[in-house]
Amino acid sequence: MTSNNYSSNQKDQQNLIGHLANWITWPRFIFSITLTFFLTSILFPFYWMVSSSFKTYAEIGSRNTIYIPHALRLDSYRELFSPSHPQFQHFGLNIINTVKIAVPTAIIAVILSVLGAYAIARLKFKGKNILTNGILMIYLFPGTLLIIPLFSMIAQIAAKIGFAVQDNLAILVFTYLAQTLPVALYMLTNYFRTIPEEIEQAGLIDGCSRVGVIWRITIPLAVPALISVGIYTFMIAWNEFLYALVFLNSHDLFTIPIKINTLVNAPSFRPHVVMAASTIMTMPVVILFLALERFLTEGLSSGGVKG
Amino acid sequence: MAVSTQNTPRSFIERWKSIESREARLAWALILPTALIVFGLVLFPAVFSIWISFHKVDLGNLNDVFHAPFIGWENYKYVINDFAFKFQGIHNWGAAVTSIVYSFSSTILTLIVGTIAALLLNKPFKGRGFARAIFLFPYVAPIISVAFVWRWILDPRQSGVLNDILMRLHLIDMPKAYLATRGLALIIVIIFEAWRYFPFAMLMILARLQAIDGSLYEAAEVDGADKWKQFLYITIPELRYVLGAIFLLRLIWTFNKFDDIFLLTGGGFGTNVLPVLTYQFSFNSFNFGKGAANAMILLAILVVFLIVYISTIMKNEEE
Repeated sequence: MTSNNYSSNQKDQQNLIGHLANWITWPRFIFSITLTFFLTSILFPFYWMVSSSFKTYAEIGSRNTIYIPHALRLDSYRELFSPSHPQFQHFGLNIINTVKIAVPTAIIAVILSVLGAYAIARLKFKGKNILTNGILMIYLFPGTLLIIPLFSMIAQIAAKIGFAVQDNLAILVFTYLAQTLPVALYMLTNYFRTIPEEIEQAGLIDGCSRVGVIWRITIPLAVPALISVGIYTFMIAWNEFLYALVFLNSHDLFTIPIKINTLVNAPSFRPHVVMAASTIMTMPVVILFLALERFLTEGLSSGGVKG
Repeated sequence: MAVSTQNTPRSFIERWKSIESREARLAWALILPTALIVFGLVLFPAVFSIWISFHKVDLGNLNDVFHAPFIGWENYKYVINDFAFKFQGIHNWGAAVTSIVYSFSSTILTLIVGTIAALLLNKPFKGRGFARAIFLFPYVAPIISVAFVWRWILDPRQSGVLNDILMRLHLIDMPKAYLATRGLALIIVIIFEAWRYFPFAMLMILARLQAIDGSLYEAAEVDGADKWKQFLYITIPELRYVLGAIFLLRLIWTFNKFDDIFLLTGGGFGTNVLPVLTYQFSFNSFNFGKGAANAMILLAILVVFLIVYISTIMKNEEE
């Protein structure tokens, strides 16, 4: 349709006075300018992050700004990973800690939200509306409001049962689940509603139990949605900052965000090392996202429009 | 067996009921773990924080919070009279006013940028899919890395890249400390919010744009409406609901947002907002009661706004 408009516009151009012809080329001009503006302002920070990570300490500290590093120097990465470096940062440990939190969060969130979303989308039960609205209420509460009561609550339970509140990765997994489950539930409920109920009824008539139907029919049909929910929750856990900042004290258990924060606030701030750590943190998220972009954006936009 | 249930209506109803109740039991079993986690770790703490806000809770009695002394509205009085909270004139807004200005301006700017981006990507051009993926980068990249890259770009030294570019273009004479200048810092933080969150608005708007019936534009074309009029009288009205929904969601989320400002400025230089102030009360001065009171005030402002929004704007839209 739009291409038709363009060709008719071009015909008009030949016939009408120059003033109008000029006016018609304006939209295209504005379009390319705006697109270029968007692309540069989006990509420049990412370019700056990656290119800064390849600079040496001399390059990053010099009075002149260096736009392109002279060589792909790996000094900053060596500082993060190589034990022989004088300022070795043990960054591998931070990556492992973050994976230890993010992977269980994603897996548990997918399992629990499949069950919950199926119940909301397909089954009738009393109190469903109150329950779903209550779960969506979480959007209202800021993380800083919850963290104080959560901390003292868990401290009470911990004192009774006898486990550590601080430096306990399992507790972080639980708090991340609370943050991600509502979104996961919402995305999956919307997806389940798009699966025709007749397919499941055929299964029920053939003698499958409800649980059998979920396992054999619904889940295989929902694989794209499950992947996007899994990645979405993984990303939230991978990126989370506030709860990790409050709940983690020991350097050995720091997640990547907390580690980067301490690198920034260290007395000797070394920008190229921070940028290298940021690059490492950003890479998996961006790669996962690009690989599964279609699933993810569908999930994101279907989750939002219906809200 | 089947014949007998059809003959006697009561037992048929009973059986029907039992299937229904079995379904309900299954539903509850399926949703229970989720409900327990969400209610236990979100809704209960939210209610509990009301209790904390009326008690004297600090580092000493955090582990024994139920025996904390009740002090009535003292925490609220402390917060309201705190110089970091209250409005003290045009040069020192305090966290409450800053929060409101910050969330409204960032939300509106996010919506404007998101709409422009959606309109751009709604036009067919070569590499559109790729461009759309790139447009989502700021939103999917971890907050910690983008915040620190921005800080590094805005570095106050002469070698900071923004300073360097602006000085080469002769737009400024001296390097500027963007995140450490009152006023400028708030503007930068608002621009950062729009940069980071416009993709969210863009996705929603794009989905709605693609659902607009093309025949509306054809009819307008026949009636002689130019592109601008078509945009004004077809596109904007069609987008009204989705714009309203994004505005509400983003406003709530921005109002509650802690990470962005904490990482960019640490709440300094006229950018202190209520979530950051809650954190400072609780974890810098370890006055948890005061922190909880501050968080409750934040929530109260949010709820008042929601009520006003729902009772005026949503009502108008229904009519």
